[in-house]
Amino acid sequence: KCFCSFYLVFSLQEFIDITLSKTQRKTPTVVHKHYQIHRIRHFYMRKVKFTQQNYHDRLTQILTDFPKLDDIHPFYADLMNVLYDKDHYKLALGQINIAKNLIDNVAKDYVRLMKYGDSLYRCKQLKRAALGRMCTILKRQKSSLEYLEQVRQHLSRLPSIDPNTRTLLLCGYPNVGKSSFINKVTRADVDVQPYAFTTKSLFVGHMDYRYLRWQVVDTPGILDHPLEERNTIEMQAITALAHLRAAVLYVMDSSEQCGHTLQEQLMLFNSIRPLFANKPLIVVANKCDVKKISELSEENQKIFADLSADGIPVIETSTLTEEGVMQVKTEACDQLLAHRVNNKMKGKKVHDVLNRLHLAMPMKRDEKARPAFIPEGALLRRKAMEVDAPKRKLEKDLEMELGDDYILDLQKYWDLMNEDEKHDRIPEVWEGHNIADYIDPSIMKKLEDLEKEEELKEAAGEYDSDEESEDEEMQEIRVLAKQIREKKYLMVVESKEKDVHGPRMPRTATKVERKKLEKEMGNLGLDMDNKDDSHYAQQARRSRSVTKKRKREASAPPTSKTRSQSASRPPRDQSGLRDAKMVKKTKKMMKNSQKGMNREARKGEADRHIFDLKPKHLLAGKRKSGTTDRR
Amino acid sequence: MRIEKCYFCSGPVYPGHGVMFVRNDCKTFRFCKSKCHKNFKKKRNPRKTRWTKAFRKSSGKELTVDNALEFEKRRNTPVKYNREMWEKTVEAMKRVEEIKQKRQARFIMNRLKKGKQLEKEEDIHEVKKNIHLIKAPHAGKAKQLEEKMVQKLKEDVEMGEEDV
Repeated sequence: KCFCSFYLVFSLQEFIDITLSKTQRKTPTVVHKHYQIHRIRHFYMRKVKFTQQNYHDRLTQILTDFPKLDDIHPFYADLMNVLYDKDHYKLALGQINIAKNLIDNVAKDYVRLMKYGDSLYRCKQLKRAALGRMCTILKRQKSSLEYLEQVRQHLSRLPSIDPNTRTLLLCGYPNVGKSSFINKVTRADVDVQPYAFTTKSLFVGHMDYRYLRWQVVDTPGILDHPLEERNTIEMQAITALAHLRAAVLYVMDSSEQCGHTLQEQLMLFNSIRPLFANKPLIVVANKCDVKKISELSEENQKIFADLSADGIPVIETSTLTEEGVMQVKTEACDQLLAHRVNNKMKGKKVHDVLNRLHLAMPMKRDEKARPAFIPEGALLRRKAMEVDAPKRKLEKDLEMELGDDYILDLQKYWDLMNEDEKHDRIPEVWEGHNIADYIDPSIMKKLEDLEKEEELKEAAGEYDSDEESEDEEMQEIRVLAKQIREKKYLMVVESKEKDVHGPRMPRTATKVERKKLEKEMGNLGLDMDNKDDSHYAQQARRSRSVTKKRKREASAPPTSKTRSQSASRPPRDQSGLRDAKMVKKTKKMMKNSQKGMNREARKGEADRHIFDLKPKHLLAGKRKSGTTDRR
Repeated sequence: MRIEKCYFCSGPVYPGHGVMFVRNDCKTFRFCKSKCHKNFKKKRNPRKTRWTKAFRKSSGKELTVDNALEFEKRRNTPVKYNREMWEKTVEAMKRVEEIKQKRQARFIMNRLKKGKQLEKEEDIHEVKKNIHLIKAPHAGKAKQLEEKMVQKLKEDVEMGEEDV
């Protein structure tokens, strides 16, 4: 029953524009005189048919979207009649239907005519005529379309009242307090103003009672005049009354603040009485905070007495102080439920269900009474639901009271052993540890054990620092070791500083000065005075003075080797070698060092000769998978 | 507010610091800094990354089994606040912390004692091997030898005299 989901009805101008532009866009646009005639005809026929199709679709959619008054629930049918006038509605839809058929006919005719068009110009004119006629037909529907669009908008805003579910209907004179009642009982927020006819249409609110959903329908006020003279607003209320199977709450104003006396209200009541047939009825005497029934005059009190005597419950309420509102609610709901159940029982469907239901009662095994157990809290709550119990002070009320001073303090609801600790600031962290990790009921005991352990350990001497005093010898050794390490480091640094260019000569190749030798040895602790007769000094004196190279006479080559020379200087492959083993080793070393060069077939470091400049395996053949640095 | 532990280095993650990563199997990993986070993303094992506490504990470089360490444990059932219990707990915490530090320090010291022994031995070895760099082996011996020779000569002379 959702009226809000249908497509919008275009206004006339838009409708025509959209359809024509669609025809232009969605059909082929290019045609030339020299095409074959069947192609030209087809081209224009297509356009006519396309336009017709579009109009047809749109109009059909409108016709199907709008509800048929005969097909919907009589409540809605009547409501729509009241609001939109059944005749006008049906007429509008009929016109649309006619327009649709006419358009179809036009298209058919012109398509038939197009078959006889013999030139591009003729066909084009036919198409123009066809489209023109279709648009003219539609132009006559301008007012219908406007009307339907307005109906659609209003329909989508109607309140969704389910006519079959449990409903409470509020009726009465204007300004008696119907809207205030619905505001109190449900979550609806209906306008409440001091002037009459504030509520101009039906409003729905929902409430819960006994785990069921109830609708409460608020109506505009009804004045007392005959049916024919009623205006649209009142008619809505009457429609609701007539069609909804609901419990009726007739609201009266006992203080006569609405501007009508109780007599008048009674008259209205009697005149609409026939509408209340077969519906549970309650009379609500509202505004009792201003005037109670007992404060009224005799005759007015008699009115209420009569009503009660008739079997209609009269309940005093005040929507301002909320007195009696709950009572009305429960009364009405109970009555309606009873009524509905009765109706169902009278119907035929009940027996199907009843035949299948069977309440099994367990057999009593002894005389002990076993009543149902209902905890106290549930009982209290049930009572509070039925009676209007005074609500406890909410946080919201507190907030309103304190205004700006209000601070949300949830700690006051905590359930602790000591009440005065509720507002403590609880420490959470200490020095990088979470206190929550240490909380343990047995922590003190554990701590005691730990302390005992600690004492034992201390007694056992675990924590004594063991710096054994080292004996003198050890200390001396340490000092010496330090000095040795220092000396080593200095020697390394010195040798790095020497910065020797060229080949590293062995130690024996360089001459050592006497002064230096004596100084070093002196540093090492030896006595170096008076060492003139030491072997190194004597050797130094004996060594030959620098010999000049002997000049050879150019003419006479040496005839024989001087034995002394050969004796004094050993040949190079024997100098420095002690024994045969060393000779063998040196020969081997020599051969080894030549291996690299031999393998590369090089004569020496400077030999860069390439034997094969264009090796076949690198330059011939296809390059398959592989890199380009080698193949 | 809680101070969490970093998954990688086991350091403290204070509120407002670090990154938390939630995996598809709903396991959360907290990291104290991007160094730990990046190492995690490189799939490094904290038990093999030398600077983490996990490594130190698993390779026995730090105290692992001890009663003082059993106090700090994450408990899943919350306890209702009780002022005196909280006060006592805080006092206990301080004392436990002291003891814990002492024991951890003692453990590490014991571990390092071996090093002292090795140092000593090394020094002795060094001195034996390389003493010649500071002091010549027979530094004072030349004089001794001379004296010995002089004495020997004297004795010989004496012997000679006796013979004669």
